[in-house]
Amino acid sequence: MTISGGIDVDGVARSFGDVHAVREATLTVRPGSVAGLIGPNGSGKTTLLLMLATLLAPDAGRISIAGHDPVEQPREVRARMGWMPDTLGAWPSLTVRQTLVAAGRLYGLTQDAAGERAAELIDVVSLEPLADRPNRVLSRGQKQRLSLARAIVHDPDVLLLDEPASGLDPQARADLRELIRRFAAEGKAVLVSSHVLAELDEMADTAVYLRAGRTASADAVERSVRSARDWRIRAIDASTLAPALAAAGVPAELIRADNLGTLVPIGDEDQAARLLAALVGSGVAVSSFGPAVGDLEHVFLELNREEGDS
Amino acid sequence: MTGVIGGAWLIAMIELRQRVRGVAWYVLLGVFMFVILCATALLVLATNALHSGGGGVFSTIIFLVLLLATLVSPALSGNAINGERDAGTLATTQVTLVSTAQIVIGKWLAAWITALAFLVGALPFLVFAVALGQVSLGTIAVSTLVLAAELAVIAAFGVGLSGVLSRPLFSIVVTYLVIAALSVGTLITFGLLGAATQSDTTYTYKSQTGTDCSAINVSYSRVPRFDHYWGILAANPYVILADAAPPSFSDRGQPQDLFTAIAVGVRQVQKAPPLETTYDDCAPPAHQPTPEEIYESAVPSWFVGLTIQLVLAAGALFWAWRRTDTPARRLATGMRVA
Repeated sequence: MTISGGIDVDGVARSFGDVHAVREATLTVRPGSVAGLIGPNGSGKTTLLLMLATLLAPDAGRISIAGHDPVEQPREVRARMGWMPDTLGAWPSLTVRQTLVAAGRLYGLTQDAAGERAAELIDVVSLEPLADRPNRVLSRGQKQRLSLARAIVHDPDVLLLDEPASGLDPQARADLRELIRRFAAEGKAVLVSSHVLAELDEMADTAVYLRAGRTASADAVERSVRSARDWRIRAIDASTLAPALAAAGVPAELIRADNLGTLVPIGDEDQAARLLAALVGSGVAVSSFGPAVGDLEHVFLELNREEGDS
Repeated sequence: MTGVIGGAWLIAMIELRQRVRGVAWYVLLGVFMFVILCATALLVLATNALHSGGGGVFSTIIFLVLLLATLVSPALSGNAINGERDAGTLATTQVTLVSTAQIVIGKWLAAWITALAFLVGALPFLVFAVALGQVSLGTIAVSTLVLAAELAVIAAFGVGLSGVLSRPLFSIVVTYLVIAALSVGTLITFGLLGAATQSDTTYTYKSQTGTDCSAINVSYSRVPRFDHYWGILAANPYVILADAAPPSFSDRGQPQDLFTAIAVGVRQVQKAPPLETTYDDCAPPAHQPTPEEIYESAVPSWFVGLTIQLVLAAGALFWAWRRTDTPARRLATGMRVA
């Protein structure tokens, strides 16, 4: 099943002394799809990515990247995998262009090919004005873009991006989103770790939830997706909302309000549609009606709550 | 990647670009050349080089290059690997197609080339010394090659330790200590061990009264036995350099350059001190061996010392490779991959 490529991880564990960074990670990212890797700080996201990136050997389990095992065949994996680390390092004295040329050469491109590729990538990540300035003058967001360009210099089939969006301005985030969608359209498998869940919501096809070194099982995710979540409702005249909700059968103790509107827990989309119809039917001028948190964030918070309960 | 060498050379080029780009580096080289210029001027006066040739000037400049390189090189190479890990640029290089061995060798090449720049900086003064005459081609060739080998050893210690130890400052300090142990530590150990191991000697003096030499005066004393420990000096880089260079003696068997003077001193201690000495006023004075005769009667040791150093240097690089290789299985406490 791994011949086709993509990322395939089965029962992977890794500890550092008595710290179990990753206990049991299992996930699959098909070619042509984007998966979000989501988890609280210290849940083992970076350790997992280091193992996928051929830098750390797992203690147990099996990994396949683009059809190759990172421990047995690191060279084959490296030729097909691009990794953008969460620590942004760049040789300070080299210019942006020289850095990308050097990276291309390290991946076996000839000097000319590396030069062409560098020029192309500088355009892709919009670093033209800084192309011939040394890396040390770059801001955090600019380093981030350089790091992304470096990760894709050899046009890899599998992309591992560790917190690619942190430090980027809204325009750069939008560009990044579009770029990642484009990679998926080209048939690459992309795994993105991020804390910005709303961001991932817009580009990830699937999500992998990691907590305390374990990937959440499909059952747990399914359960969380189906659990009730808050919807935010706003009406032109807020005072008409409370009586209408009571009339629609929503218990008063479940209704809360925040500065943006009224929050009501709703189980699924059918229930939401019925409630909206009832509110409109009772004459409330509804101006806004939607989930208060994104899909990924909902599952993430729900899974963490389960963890806290158990 | 075009072969093992190609990859290592690529790493070396990136490393050199990183370092050489700084203005500070050129200032350092300028200061170094100024120091050598002053030293050359003083040496010409001190050794009367305009009349007696440039042997003394040449050998002293070579030693100065070794001294300056040992002082500067650890600071430049002692954080080659762990410094990159701290800066976050090591892991991004390790996920490319260059192997860890190529990274280690490339960094060592860069450190070596940086140290050799000092030799190049001293070149005008070495040429001047040769132009003064009395420096044999053998001395020029051997001392330059052995100096280059010593610089390679120092660079390997720095790069090796920077791969073995995780903290840059610590590995730089340890590199300095290793080089100090070889340069100064060997001398101190040799001196202390020799002085602590003493033998009884008997000195018999037959004094002369008229034509009669029958009055015998015997005295006892103790002498240090440096001859047991001369091997320690073989590990000293300066001794290796001096011992390797072809000797240069005057007609009366006196050493003509610094290399030969040091080589004579080192070889002299191979001989056990005489434990029974007799001085007879009536006998004709015994022949005192000249430095040249002492030199000829002892064995050279430089290749043993140099071989041991080359093995240690290769070992340091090998250890660094093992510690840095990926995918990493075991990590030292506090060491991060990226």
